[in-house]
Amino acid sequence: MPDIGQSLGAAIAIAFGALSTGWAQSRIGSAGAGTIAEKPELIGAAIILEAIPETMVILGFVVAAMILML
Amino acid sequence: MLQQMEKILVIGSREHAQRAVDVLYRTGTLHLTDVTDHLSAEEIRLRKWDSEIREKMAGLLVKIGGVLLTLPDIKGQESRWREMYEELYWRETSDIIEEASSIVSTLEERIRELSTRKTDCELRIKAYDRYQKTIEKIRPLEEQLPSLEGFEVTVLLIQTEFADLIPLIEHELYRITRNQCEMVSAEIDEDTIAAITVFNKRFSDEVHSFIFTKNVNEVRLPQEYMGKPFEEVLELIERGRRACREEQDEIEQTLRSLSEKWYLKLSVMKHVLSDKLQEIEVFSNFGQTDYVFAITGWVPARSLEKTKKAISRKFGNRVVIADLVLSGEDLEQAPSLYANPWIVRPFEFFMQLVRPPLYTEIDPSPLLAFFFPLFFGLMVGDIGYGLVILGIALVVKKRYADQGWVQSVMNVMIISSVPTMFFGFMYGEFFGDFGEKMGWLHPVHLFGISLNRIEAILPLLILSIGLGVLHVMLGLVLGIINARHMKHRKHMAEKAGMLAVIAGGILMLASLAGVLPSVPVFAGAIVLVAGLPLIVYGAGAIGLLEIMGTVGNILSYSRLMAIGMASVILAMVANELGGTLEILLLGVIVAALLHSLNIVLAMFSPSLHSIRLHVVECYSKFYEGGGTPYHPFQRVKEG
Repeated sequence: MPDIGQSLGAAIAIAFGALSTGWAQSRIGSAGAGTIAEKPELIGAAIILEAIPETMVILGFVVAAMILML
Repeated sequence: MLQQMEKILVIGSREHAQRAVDVLYRTGTLHLTDVTDHLSAEEIRLRKWDSEIREKMAGLLVKIGGVLLTLPDIKGQESRWREMYEELYWRETSDIIEEASSIVSTLEERIRELSTRKTDCELRIKAYDRYQKTIEKIRPLEEQLPSLEGFEVTVLLIQTEFADLIPLIEHELYRITRNQCEMVSAEIDEDTIAAITVFNKRFSDEVHSFIFTKNVNEVRLPQEYMGKPFEEVLELIERGRRACREEQDEIEQTLRSLSEKWYLKLSVMKHVLSDKLQEIEVFSNFGQTDYVFAITGWVPARSLEKTKKAISRKFGNRVVIADLVLSGEDLEQAPSLYANPWIVRPFEFFMQLVRPPLYTEIDPSPLLAFFFPLFFGLMVGDIGYGLVILGIALVVKKRYADQGWVQSVMNVMIISSVPTMFFGFMYGEFFGDFGEKMGWLHPVHLFGISLNRIEAILPLLILSIGLGVLHVMLGLVLGIINARHMKHRKHMAEKAGMLAVIAGGILMLASLAGVLPSVPVFAGAIVLVAGLPLIVYGAGAIGLLEIMGTVGNILSYSRLMAIGMASVILAMVANELGGTLEILLLGVIVAALLHSLNIVLAMFSPSLHSIRLHVVECYSKFYEGGGTPYHPFQRVKEG
């Protein structure tokens, strides 16, 4: 059973990762939606750009998992 | 990989120019280029092809379209269409235009007249219907109407909610007509009140003007109906309507006979002229002198013989196709056409997310075809999910057989379901831990490590990062090969330096971790340090910052473990929830719903991340893109 420090650490790792990813993707998503409305051929680039910030939450998840399980 | 391209020059006597263009258009293999790119003004002074007939043709197409819209379509002539098309296509364009213009001018006036009469009849029938409806509604009021000469009758239709306005209108009409007016009103249905107004004809203009300005709905009966009993008026209306319908039938009959005579020919002419217009659109690429014409372009090597045969069959040796000798600069301009085996072809769809490859660089689609399913399988890693994904892909593929992109995506899913099931077997997962709980399978043990995704976090993380190292290093190697092809020495040095830095770093880490005890740490350090000056030579001092970017790219591959773990945890939650419910059926439904959600996520998220890993992490090491896609000069299919 993880102690309070581990739990807090894991929560902080994932929380900040998720918040920053959400903030970044909200900005990219709205800009991407506007771009696609004018130039539908850029949908591929928009989707890729939208997926780029997910690295933050994934690495946060990895750190949280490592804290809790190792 | 990309199809080998050959650049050709089509040259012949000017009298055959148009026909040669027709042949090339029908063959559909030539990607056109501007002839002046290859033949300079010193070699041969070429003029551009002009087409004075472009505007004439465009105008004629609009007129033919208008005529065809009015004429009824005649079925049963499809078999003659092809024959007529072939016969017309090979005639001189000017002859076709002349004939089409003649037919259109003959038909245009006649059709316009018939069309006007037809519209007129339709309007009159509508008016008759309106009169009939109104007369039938106000018939009960007939006895209340005064029958006076010199008086006019009009019917006002007022909505029930505005019934309060009737006294105001009546008051105003009395004022205008100096009390020479009578109004009788009654409800004709729950929404409408009819007010029959009889007034002295002298005040007709003022009365109608007043009614118009107040926006009241007025039904004015024609003069010939005035003073007649409603019964007779209804008969007149019916007679008028019958006459209109007879006239409509006569017009339809005339249009039909015109259609039987001209529809097929005009329809074929429209297609032929439309094709000729598409040919004319590219005339600016061609060149001519007083005696010869010249066309240049790229042809896939496999289609070169076909193109040459098509020209020689039509012209013998009066028009010649010459294979041009290519310089490095020419090759950079060549269009790109994929020539991949069947198993790689579905992945070409994802290549649309990036710019097409340059002809001189390595096509990354085979790389995508190998690693995408691997990454997908690693992340999803479940036998049950793999089977469901395979089933869904087969069903959707059959359902949308005519949609090219759906076929490509579903083929990718079918291919990716195989490693999904393989890794599912390795992880011992069948709908999460359901298979393990039922005792059907267990995680495989490899090098003393159980491949249970919940327990083997660190080994799987190391595997993911290791795959990342492999993928990125492969990208760097391809970058070196591309740079060598394009003779960019500095790019080669930069990528070789980065490769050395990563290799050196890995060696040092492996040595420190005891994985490679025989390799001393300083050996890795030497390799690492040796890479640094190469990077500085290739990209300047700022290139050293790129090392951190590359390390970040490698760490990004940890998502292979993370997304997989998220997927298996969700599957386990589904099983737990389903298992805790006391009613079996309810438990199965809840678990099935959660697994369905997880499968939908499994189809979308690992795909997106696999593509992202390729496009962002790997392609950035070697792929430039910006090539010209191959667009042959051929008939553009209408949507």
